[in-house]
Amino acid sequence: MKRTILSLALLGFGSAAVAQQQPGQPAATVIAVPPLTSPNGGNQGNEMLAVGWQVTQQIETDLRQTAEVMPLQPNRDDYYSYPEVTAPSFSKWRAKGAKALVTGFVQARQDGRLTVGCYVYDLDKGRELARKGFAIGPKDWRRAAHKCSGLAYTAITGAPGMFDTMIAYVAESGVGDGRTRRIAVMDSDGYNHRYVTAGDAMVLTPRIAPKATQLAYVSFAGGRPNIHLIDLGSNQDRPLLPNDVMSFAPRFSPDGTKIAFSMMTGTNSDIYVANSAGGAPQRLTTAPGVDTDPSFSPDGSRIVFESDRGGSQQLYVMNADGTGQRRISFGGGWYGSPVWSPDGEWIAFTRRSQDGRRIGIVKPDGTGERVLTNGPGDEGPAWAASSREILFQRAGANGAAGLARVALDGSGARPVTIPQGGSDPDWSGVVD
Amino acid sequence: MRKTIFTFALLLGATAAEAQLPGLRRRSPAPPQQQQRPVLQGIDAQRAEFAAQSGGTTVYFGAENVGLSVAARTVLSAQANWLRRHPEVVVRVEGYGDGGDTRDHALAVGARRAEEARSYLVLLGVPAAQVSATTWGKERPGLGRAVTVLIR
Repeated sequence: MKRTILSLALLGFGSAAVAQQQPGQPAATVIAVPPLTSPNGGNQGNEMLAVGWQVTQQIETDLRQTAEVMPLQPNRDDYYSYPEVTAPSFSKWRAKGAKALVTGFVQARQDGRLTVGCYVYDLDKGRELARKGFAIGPKDWRRAAHKCSGLAYTAITGAPGMFDTMIAYVAESGVGDGRTRRIAVMDSDGYNHRYVTAGDAMVLTPRIAPKATQLAYVSFAGGRPNIHLIDLGSNQDRPLLPNDVMSFAPRFSPDGTKIAFSMMTGTNSDIYVANSAGGAPQRLTTAPGVDTDPSFSPDGSRIVFESDRGGSQQLYVMNADGTGQRRISFGGGWYGSPVWSPDGEWIAFTRRSQDGRRIGIVKPDGTGERVLTNGPGDEGPAWAASSREILFQRAGANGAAGLARVALDGSGARPVTIPQGGSDPDWSGVVD
Repeated sequence: MRKTIFTFALLLGATAAEAQLPGLRRRSPAPPQQQQRPVLQGIDAQRAEFAAQSGGTTVYFGAENVGLSVAARTVLSAQANWLRRHPEVVVRVEGYGDGGDTRDHALAVGARRAEEARSYLVLLGVPAAQVSATTWGKERPGLGRAVTVLIR
């Protein structure tokens, strides 16, 4: 929370809305989301208002998923005129307890597309925080809503929104060894769900490239684990490495040009990095034993990974060229599957002890460790673009894997709805 | 292929030490005539002979352990003897990790166990081209801390 206020103060907006919270009160900033208006008239105006109402409801749904922003229920009686988009009544929304306000419009264009504008206001200070306008296809109102939600979320919290993002995971149907596993991708709100592998081979650990142009995963199609890349536009699939060596645990670099992964050399699992376009891999670790699960820092200068070189599975940080390797986890038990947060502040991990597996976070220097979930079957954390929430795999009471998300603010984990069982989630950055 | 593997599993079920091979038990039931025919041919016969003469196809490891025990070396030695007499037979060592482990660590541990067993077979004179290694990590949990040596 302290960090939230600090970043808001630095950005110079919205701080009043957040700073007035008292201990014990909900941390969420209340935001009013009255229905979007339109400058068009007649039947066309009615059509645009109908689209605007859909956008408004989606904004409310998006913001309600977050721990930091609490939308008031939109009401169709709160219609306002087009000029009021940029000159709203602050006192009306202040009286309803809101600290922030979203206004906007939907306008029909000559070319059949729609212009959508969104504006975010600080009600206490009575001033605009942010605005954004964009053209969309007539059916892309959901995307427009995600952009407006992201604008409001960023204006209030200072963090990137995760509404226009993609989730990938391993969809599991059936039980036991005979179960079918396919890579599935969907928008972060659950829409546009589709499968990108056929289900004829076992697959693991999908990892989305920056901008969600492609996806790396592990395929057992040849009987051994091999890293493959799928182009999400064309669905073309190719192996990362030319030879059939055991390779797994892929992660893209922040600029998408490289992939860090682990590869077996004899009995040794080490960290390597290769160009995602192809080429010979470069070896980064040489310690005997298991080095795996590399993850880049957001500036690409460092890599966190896990190693059992010291006798038990622990987290280590090194420079991206393999130098300066040092251990950062000392809390007892075993630590695995580290993932660096998009804002660089935290490393999420799976901590394993005698009574199960839990998700936690620690600073890259090894301080500030916190366990966020109760387990006992949690693993595989993936960060939201906001760096304030973590998606992970949670085994249900019957042992079947599902997905859940947990916020860093200490609120409990919530299940994520998917069409079947799921494991190994990954969450992209903002797609735009 | 599916039928072949199932037959193999049935056979091992008949040999005392090998009651459990869940990794090989597949979805479809075996055709009834398979169970009534005791004489095996081709790869099934080879697999049966290999399992019988090697004292088993499975080698077990201790917790968090990838080193080979005396018992494991005994089984692998017998397997190596058989494989040297059958240079035409190609085998794959499949390693398993621990079910409570994280996904990729379990993959790596299974791979280490498989490579450990494979290099021991090679050390005992089995040509390297005759034996490959792979890992199932914790994805086929039935076997636990083990490798199986499977004729392909």
